[in-house]
Amino acid sequence: MVVSGTGELGDMMMLDRPRRWRASAFPYMMFAPAFILIAGVSFVPIGYALVQSVFRSSTLELGHYVGLRNYNDFFFTRDGIGSLENSLIFVAGTVALAVPLGVALALVLNRPIPFRSFFRVILILPWLVSNLVGALLWAWIGNPQYGLVPYLLSTFGIVMPNIITDPAAAMTSVIVASVWASTPLVMVFVLAALQSIPSDITEAARIDGASGWRRFWRITLPMVRNTTMMALVLTSLHAFKSVEIILVMTGGGPNGATETMATKVFHEAFTLLRIGVGSAGAVAIFVLNLMFTMAFVRVLRTEHGA
Amino acid sequence: MTKGRPLRKLIGNAATAAFLAAACLFAVVPIVWAVLTSLKSPQEVALYPPTFLPHHLTFENYLGAVIYNATYLHYLFNTALIVVIATILCLFCSAHAAHAVARYKFRGSSILMFAMFSTVMIPGVAVVIPLYLLSVKAGIYDTVLVLILVYSAWLTPTLVWLLRGFVIAIPPELEEAGRIDGYSRLGVFYRVTLPLLRPGLLAGSVLIFANIWNEFLLGYSLVQSETARVIQVGIYANLTEVGVQWGRLTAAAVTAMLPVLIVYAFLQKAFVQGLSAGAVKG
Repeated sequence: MVVSGTGELGDMMMLDRPRRWRASAFPYMMFAPAFILIAGVSFVPIGYALVQSVFRSSTLELGHYVGLRNYNDFFFTRDGIGSLENSLIFVAGTVALAVPLGVALALVLNRPIPFRSFFRVILILPWLVSNLVGALLWAWIGNPQYGLVPYLLSTFGIVMPNIITDPAAAMTSVIVASVWASTPLVMVFVLAALQSIPSDITEAARIDGASGWRRFWRITLPMVRNTTMMALVLTSLHAFKSVEIILVMTGGGPNGATETMATKVFHEAFTLLRIGVGSAGAVAIFVLNLMFTMAFVRVLRTEHGA
Repeated sequence: MTKGRPLRKLIGNAATAAFLAAACLFAVVPIVWAVLTSLKSPQEVALYPPTFLPHHLTFENYLGAVIYNATYLHYLFNTALIVVIATILCLFCSAHAAHAVARYKFRGSSILMFAMFSTVMIPGVAVVIPLYLLSVKAGIYDTVLVLILVYSAWLTPTLVWLLRGFVIAIPPELEEAGRIDGYSRLGVFYRVTLPLLRPGLLAGSVLIFANIWNEFLLGYSLVQSETARVIQVGIYANLTEVGVQWGRLTAAAVTAMLPVLIVYAFLQKAFVQGLSAGAVKG
């Protein structure tokens, strides 16, 4: 975050008036509305969540201080460890499918294929649909009673397991919906990076006699690696905090098989009214998010340093 | 590639085409299937095996679930109202802040920027409980006001980042000329900088619109009554009631998708150019 382009103008503004305090107060005044808004809606609530997470409350008022018991309850009662595992499965499943798919589509769309802009519009569509509606579309298409997918599979003699009652099928179905929603972002990011590769680099390699595969592995892929990593992180963070898809398609069921940390926070707070336990889970999600992001930034930094 | 290996190339092209076709099917089939379902009668929706194209094309689902459904229209109105006011509020805050960080060196600017951007990392589900408690205490729970404030605050860091790129792209000489003409610092911002920021503001509005229109979690947690309910929550409420009517539900869902698709279709160029212009200067 380098503040650039300030030099002359800033100096000039300092010079032309004796009232120097205004010159120094002005940028703060310009920044103030944004800061107040963000402080009220993001800083204060995060602090409040920290406070709530060490108190046992079930109403609006703070209950009594319980130390780390809410954290203990979040992870070690009502299958909290299971929700952590489900979060990891959901995130890993989403990333493992959406990232390669998005990269592959970007590579295809970067080539001069016919109807390219048509394909691009079609493939971006899921991105524009809300997660809630997307989940609803998948719940309907996979509906065990009337759905299109179970019917099509049955014409090939395959009996699709019920996505509401079968644990593995339920997890698979929410991952499919998540991949559907996440792939366009990866594709758009990587495609933008591919298009910024100067064509003279690949041209030079071609003249030097590098084969198509070699150019791909040695030039194209390294040039888009950072963008792909960024898309991977954004996709993971998004899947980790995602509530809508699971809430709509399985409600966390059957029997907790698709309950992730995010949906558990939601259920603890708004179904069971265990506000302290829910807050503990919320803080845990925030901390895990932060750790993941910082680890990623560090990996990028060391790679650049090397 | 110049060497003649036509068969291998042909197989490669066929594989690419098959992959692209499969990906397109994956992307559109859920949407197309919902549109087809929404155009069928309730009897036809309940048929097994399902029919593909509607045997009797009917708009009764759209009439029942959208056009003659006062609550649904009310949700649409609420969402549109929130989008409009939050967009104005967010653009107001972020344009001023973007100008400050792009043009001035001031003590603590990098800390302020870092603090602001770190909020992008806060997942909604982590602040949903405190926001609920705080909004009840502040007396704005269950109003459109709380959603306007929350949504505009959430999108402000991203917008500051975006608009900052646009401010940097404006030659400082223009603003200096405005100062020489006798405008105050704020006057220069309103009369010189802001009009030149228009492409950035437009791209930003698309971003804000799509994000708010599609938001569910806070709309669900911070609003209880139908009076202030937003569209995504309205659809969810239909889903959880007993005996889901899929024809009407898909009609409501398709209607809720349309505004974002339309806005994107019209402003796609401005959006993409705006985003890349903002990001390139980052």
